[in-house]
Amino acid sequence: MELKSFNLLIVGIGGQGVISAIQILAWAALLDNYKVRTAETHGMAQRGGSVSSFLRFGNEVEGPLIPSGSSQVIIALEASEAVRNFRYADSNTIFLINNKIIVPPTVHLMNMEYPDLDSVQKFLEQISSNVFIINGHEEALKAGDIRSLNVYMLGVLVGSEKLPIKQKTLENSIRRFVPRKAQIINKIAFQNGIENGKIIKEEIE
Amino acid sequence: MSVPHFVVSNPGSHVILLGNEAIARGILEAGVIIGAGYPGTPSSEILSTLAKMYPYFSHLKIEWSINEKVAFEVAYGGSMSNVRSVVCMKHVGVNVASDAFMTAAYAGARGGMVLVSADDPNCYSSQNEQDNRYYGLHALVPVFEPSTPQEAKDLIKYAFEFSENFQTVVLFRTTTRLNHGRGDVVLGEIEEIKREYGFDWDRSRWVCLPSHSRVLRLRLLERLKEISEFANDFPYNYLKISKKRLNGKRIGFVSAGIPYAHLMDALNHFGVKDDVSILKLGMVYPPPKKLIKKLFSSVDKILVVEELEPFIENILKQIAYDEGLSKEIEIHGKDIFPQNGEFSAELYLENVADFVDLEYNGVPVPNDLIIMPPRLPILCPGCSHRASFYAIKQVEKKLKTKFVNSSDIGCYTLAVYKPLESLDIEVCMGGSIGFANGISKIQSKGNPVLAILGDSTFFHSGIPALINAVHNQNNILVMILDNRSTSMTGFQDNPGTGIKITKELGTKVNIEDLVRGCGVSPENLWVEDSNNLLEMIEKLEKAVKADGVRVFISRHTCSLVEANEFKAKQIVPPTVKVDPEKCKGCLICVNDFGCPSIIFDENEKKAIIEQDTCRGCKVCIDVCIHDAIYEVEE
Repeated sequence: MELKSFNLLIVGIGGQGVISAIQILAWAALLDNYKVRTAETHGMAQRGGSVSSFLRFGNEVEGPLIPSGSSQVIIALEASEAVRNFRYADSNTIFLINNKIIVPPTVHLMNMEYPDLDSVQKFLEQISSNVFIINGHEEALKAGDIRSLNVYMLGVLVGSEKLPIKQKTLENSIRRFVPRKAQIINKIAFQNGIENGKIIKEEIE
Repeated sequence: MSVPHFVVSNPGSHVILLGNEAIARGILEAGVIIGAGYPGTPSSEILSTLAKMYPYFSHLKIEWSINEKVAFEVAYGGSMSNVRSVVCMKHVGVNVASDAFMTAAYAGARGGMVLVSADDPNCYSSQNEQDNRYYGLHALVPVFEPSTPQEAKDLIKYAFEFSENFQTVVLFRTTTRLNHGRGDVVLGEIEEIKREYGFDWDRSRWVCLPSHSRVLRLRLLERLKEISEFANDFPYNYLKISKKRLNGKRIGFVSAGIPYAHLMDALNHFGVKDDVSILKLGMVYPPPKKLIKKLFSSVDKILVVEELEPFIENILKQIAYDEGLSKEIEIHGKDIFPQNGEFSAELYLENVADFVDLEYNGVPVPNDLIIMPPRLPILCPGCSHRASFYAIKQVEKKLKTKFVNSSDIGCYTLAVYKPLESLDIEVCMGGSIGFANGISKIQSKGNPVLAILGDSTFFHSGIPALINAVHNQNNILVMILDNRSTSMTGFQDNPGTGIKITKELGTKVNIEDLVRGCGVSPENLWVEDSNNLLEMIEKLEKAVKADGVRVFISRHTCSLVEANEFKAKQIVPPTVKVDPEKCKGCLICVNDFGCPSIIFDENEKKAIIEQDTCRGCKVCIDVCIHDAIYEVEE
């Protein structure tokens, strides 16, 4: 319980489950007796726009915002959104990147280039050597619903053992926030995520 | 999911609450009965949380009011009746409510009365970033400002007691990061208020005619004096004096709200929290003069950390001047922190380091940056507004003219972006019709003038402007985009649906009846389903060409609301596909219509409809000029 502060950022697109994931983590951090703060994107920006939500917990957290270079973990439910938020990372940051790029529809109209997965990875690797491209999209579908993507990614994080929250606590929190009908799917997604996370754990520098 | 955790009535329970949920919980704990408001980001969840509490606490009398002014009046009527009452709105909503607020400040509160204002530094979901602390200064009403969800809950609970003790309305100011951030909160007791409720027939107080108001004004000034004196003992104002020096200087900070929390993070980061003096204000107006004077005598220089205007800074400078200390003490604020936008966490680190002469090195930026095109919010797949604006554009094309599209606040404002790019004005709620009134006086012989607004916005403040157009014969076409929902702020119901905030059945108000009642002649009223594109274009052309004040109601349920309705009724929406044989790759559906479910296969040079996001609205079938889009027969 001697943790001063743990900072985590989840990014994605409105509707992908960024806020739910933050909510699950925040409740779990509370159950593990930490002081908790979050900052979330609600309202207008959610209409298919970029969404980023901050989570901070520990004994020394007051405000909800994370300073640049201070996020221990960045989870991207859409890969390119990690690039948009790179300034929160430093050389130790662990990037868990879902392998899906969703090109904003307006890019085509503006005749602009949009980065592909490969260039996203290369860019992030300039910052940190812990960039992991996760097969989240397919794994969530395999679990039974794309909406379990956020919980799958939380599983990966737990498996990597980089989250100072107990697995059991997180499972309790997931049960609390996932609708009854989706419980089994999310349980599968979470377990599969953990398995994948264990592999990543070996690779983290 | 069981009982929501903001409802749990066990005092001492430790839970996570969104700032707005914490405020709602504080309202509940204070024994409030009346709650009113108008939806507006970032304030909306306060009242909707109270609505979720209602099944467990049926004493709550809550409503979405027609606009913020009426909402304020509803709550104030509660206060007049000796009931604790709250009214919630976003910052610009206070402008609408201000007519009632400014004079209610004179008559003061009977039952505890709190106005919650949710300000929005950085304009995350707003047309401006006005600083509503000035409303307190303007109305001579105390302004409370919390820094964390826990403090928000405790402070608003206290605000009702305070309001009754001093017979004053309290302005409770929050900002987006407080409203839309979660934190750990310990729940408190729910107070049981035992007193007689009812109106008190005190005409000298509630009838604000000149002879009464002059007296009320004196009472207001007296009240402010008492509150100013009490400010020094205000339980949420904290002064901590440090005798230490940093690089030879005695340093002080003054802050409030969300900036205070981030200031603490920055001081912790550098490990200097105990080496500086700190004044934390839970009530930013009126100021605690004794505490401020004590701070002045304990430090050499002060940094005021506040977003937006130099509100506290100016108060401090005024006090320093009055005390003859303006030469002796350095007071900094807007010379260091910007006057616009939200402060990032590293801005606090940089500026605090600089102020106390410490090193702070930011994070190096990688060499090969990727230019990221923005991912802007867009109209959803199947959104009926897209169809309405597409129809408007087709009529413009057909008539070879450009309309002046005076628009309003709502999801449809997103039609300003590519590819629709079809609004020309958006300033304030209901403004679309008002501006059109004026523009039509100049443009009436040239380009047609359209006022385009949503159902909720029409109810909110469009109606007076429509009557104005009828009365003064201002030649405009008002287009009401009735999607039967206040979608942008979270799909709240409104008089058009007839459903109340508690989901109980209210009385439905018919927009056609209203329009005719405003004096629009029946032949100048058109109604069409927004998604019937061809009929829309045909009728809209007639409406544009007609004379006088005309109203066109373009109606289709919000696609997100409709999708949920379909799901509940187990209705399968139509499946729509592109026939690759017929698709010429002309890109009209992609580049002109711009539904995000239609994507273009660059290899095949054909449009494809993404089945997992398509809502089956079928509008693109009519958009395609090559008959390549079709509904799959089941």
